[in-house]
Amino acid sequence: MILHTLNALPSSAAFGDCLKLLQPGDAVVLLGDGVYAALEDTSPCDELRATGVELFILQADALLAGIDRPAEGCNSIGMDELVALTERFPRQLAWY
Amino acid sequence: MTVADADKKPLLIVMRQSPYGTSLAKAAVDVALATAAFDQLVDLLFVGDGVLQLLAGQDSQSLGKKNIGRQLASLPLYDINQVYFDAEAVSRYNLDMSSSPVTAKLLNPQEMQQLMVAYDHLLGL
Amino acid sequence: MIYSLLVLSSPASGHGSRTGAEFARSVIARGHSIHRVFFLDAGTLTGSCNSVFPQDESDPALAWEALHREHAVELVLCISSALRYGMLDETEATRYERPSASINPAFTVSGLGQLVDACAHSDRLITFGG
Repeated sequence: MILHTLNALPSSAAFGDCLKLLQPGDAVVLLGDGVYAALEDTSPCDELRATGVELFILQADALLAGIDRPAEGCNSIGMDELVALTERFPRQLAWY
Repeated sequence: MTVADADKKPLLIVMRQSPYGTSLAKAAVDVALATAAFDQLVDLLFVGDGVLQLLAGQDSQSLGKKNIGRQLASLPLYDINQVYFDAEAVSRYNLDMSSSPVTAKLLNPQEMQQLMVAYDHLLGL
Repeated sequence: MIYSLLVLSSPASGHGSRTGAEFARSVIARGHSIHRVFFLDAGTLTGSCNSVFPQDESDPALAWEALHREHAVELVLCISSALRYGMLDETEATRYERPSASINPAFTVSGLGQLVDACAHSDRLITFGG
């Protein structure tokens, strides 16, 4: 299974490509410009959730962007938890 | 330098960039060739805009750039034989794969998902 | 576990470079080791000794430098990217007859073989881009 780190705007090609390759059992961590996919009631957020992946958002990046309440189903994590995810998932793919 | 003492860890490079818009496509090809040159296992998956690297007849001479298409055509010389394309992207850009510098397998999203989990490391460039 | 990191992010745009350094610190804190951090493409700018950040902004290079100093983390700039971005060590500055070196001594310059070696010797390869 794959840990996807998604650092790209919902309008970007990288975002669409990532979405296409997600499968249940994968996890996505939103960071950098990727955090805007955690805005509630937006289609990128709905599309991400519909893939059935575990969804996380890097808290510091969310706060920087002004997203103090990420969309439901999107768990806020710190750096330690990001490392823990890389322990759990044998491979990472970076989207940017 | 040698990496012979390590177990081989198969690497899949996920090529996502157009060839000349950034320097990342060139970097990705360089990483692929270096990995093969050090006798490690490396395969390539071209996804999304990355398939634009496979357009036939790239002519880089007048702009003094390295020709990515020509570099990709040399992959078999480095024993990089497993190359995969995103079939959707190939069709979106209406690419004629019969004239592509690389011969490769066309994959749908599900096949790409299955492919990626067969590798120890993924490198998105 | 053994980790290696690949950093593609420029220190001057976005905050991928800074995130990478914080990630590396957490990796060590959780008891893992870092085999190498390899900087490629715009990521090589992280090794500049000439960048100046305003006082109210943090310089990602300082975070990397601290990892090197405190935990002997190996920081390697890809030589072909580095040269394009004007990142030269003493040897390269002399070889190409440039007025001065531009690399922070915490970083070294080497070839892509170092990335290949990092992949082969690491359980995890984590990339930071954007």
